[in-house]
Amino acid sequence: MKILNVYRSEPDDTTKKLVEIVTRDREADSFDLYVDSPDYDALVDKIFAADQTISWW
Amino acid sequence: MSKSLGIFVTNPNQFKHIMGITKAAKAKGSNVKVFFTWDSTHNAKKEPEFAELCKIADVSICVDSYKNMGYDIDDIPEGLDASKMATQAQHGIIIEDYDCYLSL
Amino acid sequence: MEYNKVCLMYRNKECVVDGIRSALGLAVENMYAYGCVMDEVEMDKFNELQAESLEMLRDMEGDVFATKAANCEINDLEPITIEELGEKLRDMTHIIPYGII
Repeated sequence: MKILNVYRSEPDDTTKKLVEIVTRDREADSFDLYVDSPDYDALVDKIFAADQTISWW
Repeated sequence: MSKSLGIFVTNPNQFKHIMGITKAAKAKGSNVKVFFTWDSTHNAKKEPEFAELCKIADVSICVDSYKNMGYDIDDIPEGLDASKMATQAQHGIIIEDYDCYLSL
Repeated sequence: MEYNKVCLMYRNKECVVDGIRSALGLAVENMYAYGCVMDEVEMDKFNELQAESLEMLRDMEGDVFATKAANCEINDLEPITIEELGEKLRDMTHIIPYGII
């Protein structure tokens, strides 16, 4: 199970806690969508490579 | 063959990302479906590139949400037709029928 | 047949009612659908229609949880901690942080 965590804003403590539990003992990747110029091409590649994508607030 | 991608939109401030991701996915040969609900339906009236999004992806909006946001349901946004003024069943289609899922 | 399990999470009062409606929409499509009201969101008491939506969701084996005791009391939601929610999310096919914070 490979999980991609996409962050729409910088993760707060609640989001960090949930990510920690959800990804425990699982393969995980992440993508920061809140940066100035996100690399959408790279994001789509990551989404296609993941079994599940979670886009956090 | 590229995977298909369904995008469920609940945040009205993500339109730039929706366009960017949709264009990138289409460039890889992906089939993209986008469904807007609740206050993200404002995007259909307020985002200048909304009609362009409708040309490159299968776009629909929640008609109940659109009405709740104060719009007349007969005032169909540019790029959509009456069949795309839809229900939450569109979200179900994204989950059931598309390879990859993204909420924004 | 494997059924989808979906959890929508709400951290903004304005999103809760539509978010529960979204969960109900997925339950109608034969998915296990859950919602969770998080943080210090202070919910209003459900009107009759909203209370019926919650009841329908439960009839279809879904549920709505809340991390704040007052929300559980006012709208008969199931109490849950962030840690319990995290464990529940591990079992979901789709996790949806809904709307804005």
